[in-house]
Amino acid sequence: MRLAREFDLLLLVAVSALVLLGVTVIYSAASESDLWQNQAAYGVIALLVAGAMIYVPDKLFYNLAYPLYALGLLLLVAVLVWGAGEPARWLSLGPGSRLRLQPSEFAKVATIMALARHLGDCSVSRVKTVRSVLIALVITVIPMSLVVKQPDLGTAVSFGAVLLPMLYWAGMRGHHIFFITAPMLSVVFSFEPVWKDHAPVVFAIFIILSSVVVQLLLSRLWVTLGMLAVNLSAGLISVYLWLDFLLAYQKARILTFLDPERDALGAGWNIIQSKIAIGSGGLTGKGFLQGTQTKYKWLPAAHTDFIFSVIGEELGFAGAVIVLALFLLVIWRALNIGATANSRFGSLLAIGLAFMLTFHVFVNVGMTIGVMPVTGLPLPFLSYGGSSLVTNCVALGLLLHMYTHRHDF
Amino acid sequence: MDPVTHEEWTRRLRGLLILVSILFSILLLRLFHLQIATFAVYHRESEENRITHKTVRAPRGRIVDRNGEVLARNRASYTIFLISSTRKRNAEAVSALEKAIDDNITYSRKRSPTVRLKRDVDFRSVCIVEEGLSPDWPLQIEIEPQRDYPMGSLAAHVIGYMGQMQKDDLAIPRAKPYAAGDYIGRTGIEKVWEANLRGDDGLSYVEVDALGRRISDESPLPKGERPAVPGQELKLTLDLNVQRAAESALPDTLSGSVVALDARNGAVLAMVSKPSFDPNVFVSYQAQEERRRFVNGESQPMLNRAIRGLYPPGSTLKMIAAVAALEAGLTDTLSTFEACAGSLRVGDTVFHCFNRDGHGELNLLEATEASCNIYFNHLAQVLGVEAWRESAEKFGFGQVTGIHLAPGEKAGLLPSRQWYNEKRGGWRGGHLMNLVIGQGDMLATPLQMARYVAALGNGGFLVTPHLYGPAPLPRLIDGVSPATLDIVKRGMHRVVYGEHGTGHSVRIAGIDIAGKSGTAQVPNSNDDAWFVAFAPYDDPEIAVAAVVEGGGGGGAVAAPVVRRVLEAYFAGRPVSKRPVSRTADDAAPGPLAESGGT
Repeated sequence: MRLAREFDLLLLVAVSALVLLGVTVIYSAASESDLWQNQAAYGVIALLVAGAMIYVPDKLFYNLAYPLYALGLLLLVAVLVWGAGEPARWLSLGPGSRLRLQPSEFAKVATIMALARHLGDCSVSRVKTVRSVLIALVITVIPMSLVVKQPDLGTAVSFGAVLLPMLYWAGMRGHHIFFITAPMLSVVFSFEPVWKDHAPVVFAIFIILSSVVVQLLLSRLWVTLGMLAVNLSAGLISVYLWLDFLLAYQKARILTFLDPERDALGAGWNIIQSKIAIGSGGLTGKGFLQGTQTKYKWLPAAHTDFIFSVIGEELGFAGAVIVLALFLLVIWRALNIGATANSRFGSLLAIGLAFMLTFHVFVNVGMTIGVMPVTGLPLPFLSYGGSSLVTNCVALGLLLHMYTHRHDF
Repeated sequence: MDPVTHEEWTRRLRGLLILVSILFSILLLRLFHLQIATFAVYHRESEENRITHKTVRAPRGRIVDRNGEVLARNRASYTIFLISSTRKRNAEAVSALEKAIDDNITYSRKRSPTVRLKRDVDFRSVCIVEEGLSPDWPLQIEIEPQRDYPMGSLAAHVIGYMGQMQKDDLAIPRAKPYAAGDYIGRTGIEKVWEANLRGDDGLSYVEVDALGRRISDESPLPKGERPAVPGQELKLTLDLNVQRAAESALPDTLSGSVVALDARNGAVLAMVSKPSFDPNVFVSYQAQEERRRFVNGESQPMLNRAIRGLYPPGSTLKMIAAVAALEAGLTDTLSTFEACAGSLRVGDTVFHCFNRDGHGELNLLEATEASCNIYFNHLAQVLGVEAWRESAEKFGFGQVTGIHLAPGEKAGLLPSRQWYNEKRGGWRGGHLMNLVIGQGDMLATPLQMARYVAALGNGGFLVTPHLYGPAPLPRLIDGVSPATLDIVKRGMHRVVYGEHGTGHSVRIAGIDIAGKSGTAQVPNSNDDAWFVAFAPYDDPEIAVAAVVEGGGGGGAVAAPVVRRVLEAYFAGRPVSKRPVSRTADDAAPGPLAESGGT
């Protein structure tokens, strides 16, 4: 009886609804295949695993955080050596096996666990030390760079995306977070393809404005100057990265994101067709199985990366809003679990998972409607793919576990 | 928990919630923009994806001869289309196709729903695309009408040829819409009658998937469809029986031209220019090499010699002087000049007759029959260049005939005293000696010659040569009396039937023919052989002019060509038993009494 009362039913129902919707939409997007059956089987198993995780002893996840992180790194190295696919992102389980594992999905959750443990072990005052922030950075950057090597830029960025909210939740000051993000903003503001010929002007305005604001807020000259130096170098390095480091297809993706029509038959095709699919859905959609963009194959990767486009086309604005509302509900529950968790580890873990979800939803949906570049990040719970579904349900299991055990000290 | 105030954690939680809300709001606003605000735009784009419009090619109008024999028609041809997909898929599909049909393909990479990859492919390629290649390739076979000339090179210069519209051509405003790659008439009837021959392409809609495969047979937009309207058929004045005879009389190894007109109204019965070309190769994708050979051919197969070939007409022009002299009263049928001694000195130039021994004393009829240069030189001396030139002008020399054909006809050259002053450094009496026998700087097209001989035969009516449509009204030439023409015609009759006539080889049993031979000297080349004729003598129906470049003697070489034309024209007519003697003084044997050649 205690378990029934302590169950976060709302969270489980919301996720189950998303998984069910995913299976349904996969049926529409790949109607001539039996992919929807695979996804349904994975969904049932993954949800059962998530439910079972409630009964795992509370300390186990804390204790397993570092070992799982190490295993995650091992798998990421393995995929660089024995990886399958083009580019290589999968590990085949046994020769000729149809079962494939995408280690980067697993490593994502493991990294969040490791970060939660590291930051949770530090007191609020110690979190603010340079040493603990550096350790957190190292924990993030190692798997990130391994994923960049694959290369999978989108997933790599998702590692970094959870770090900032977790640092913030661990107790770091807001303006310190700004110091960390400022170099990234420098990268954006110095990015020539976005600003065209105005890049130097935009970058200069950002540098001056941010320095003035920091100086006014903190009134410490050496901090301001330090930040200025870091921002400047970040901007210049990004120019170097753009010119010499990024692969042609990565550059193409970014450029095409900025202007899909630039390459309407090549890289821009996906974005254009996705926008047409979603836009033509209108308020109520064309109806289930009636999406012409989907069933006539205009929409690429309709059952995986662009599954949201199918929803937008067949179920319209109404369906899209319902899906986003379900995600918002899940994220809201996760943040609440973070706020009420029984330990700093659990609390940080929940916040990390909440932002992992947020990042994926924002980047994937943003990609389908043309506000984010094409990255190949799947839509959690909905996109076809076992690794992603299982990983996200493990995250769900962790959240359910922490909700149930929130009063155990 | 760490000793931080409860308010601080609540504040931070709210901060994170706000961050999440902002991100979701961005998505929501963007979705609203796409799905509600600009729904119409994307709805249309999605419909344009799904519904592709197809141009239904209207067949081009046929071109037939006066008896309905087909010169130009359409046949079904297969075209391989590429349905636009991603660039990668396009490239893969094209290279798979190239491998399968073992051929290189160049195609436009612009973004358009369909791209023509290869036109007029053989049935084997069709089978490969339909059955051999994966149905997933964005390839499609379409049937398009293709211009076809069943007679090959027959009357090629009249029909003309077609070429593909290039980008530059599209900028020119035209009566009907064209797309790049459409065929348009470049020369001949195909060009001048383009606006009528071309049909109006229709429009149909089909529902397709991203690979261009048809989804359903039902039209998604039946109201927007438009049937193709075929182009108009054009009936030419040509008589292919005559045309064929003329072409076979003048083989492709020779250069030259034959024009046959209806002597009464100017309808073109045959128009031959040799060497010729096959217009089929200009609409074929497999005949690049042959096309190059035609276009760059040393003997200029593309040149329509009938209207653009400029030749000295030689002795066939002598009737101009005869008409002028008769009208001026300078001679009649009986009066003679000084005897022809084989040569004549005018100024410091000596002019020769082809008969170096001399013809002796001749009257006009005898001089025409024997084609005596010296007689006409004497005549010219009393005639003067102005009177001669006026006569030539009346018969249309130095002017275009008005035929509608492309590229346009040439006017030839009828030099004047002034022309010699400007171009040849002054007029000398010797110039007229040359002009009067169709030499010197005199130049005419075979079509002008045919019109001239028609006017001599039909009682002095200058006709407008035409290839289709109602005949323009013939114009009666001023100041050329029936009596004059009668005398000139009698001379021409003697050319064919007289004892000394140079045109015996044109004779046909049962048809009374009048003609004139010409052997025109061409600088640095063999003589051009000419023959002009009209028949029947009493009421001429047909006028023919033939020239064989470098052929030699007109009577021997060109007259048989004209005979073949006349034979074809009069084939099947009841043979006339009527005696053909004209007048008492005309002692020539009739056409039924065959005699030897020249």
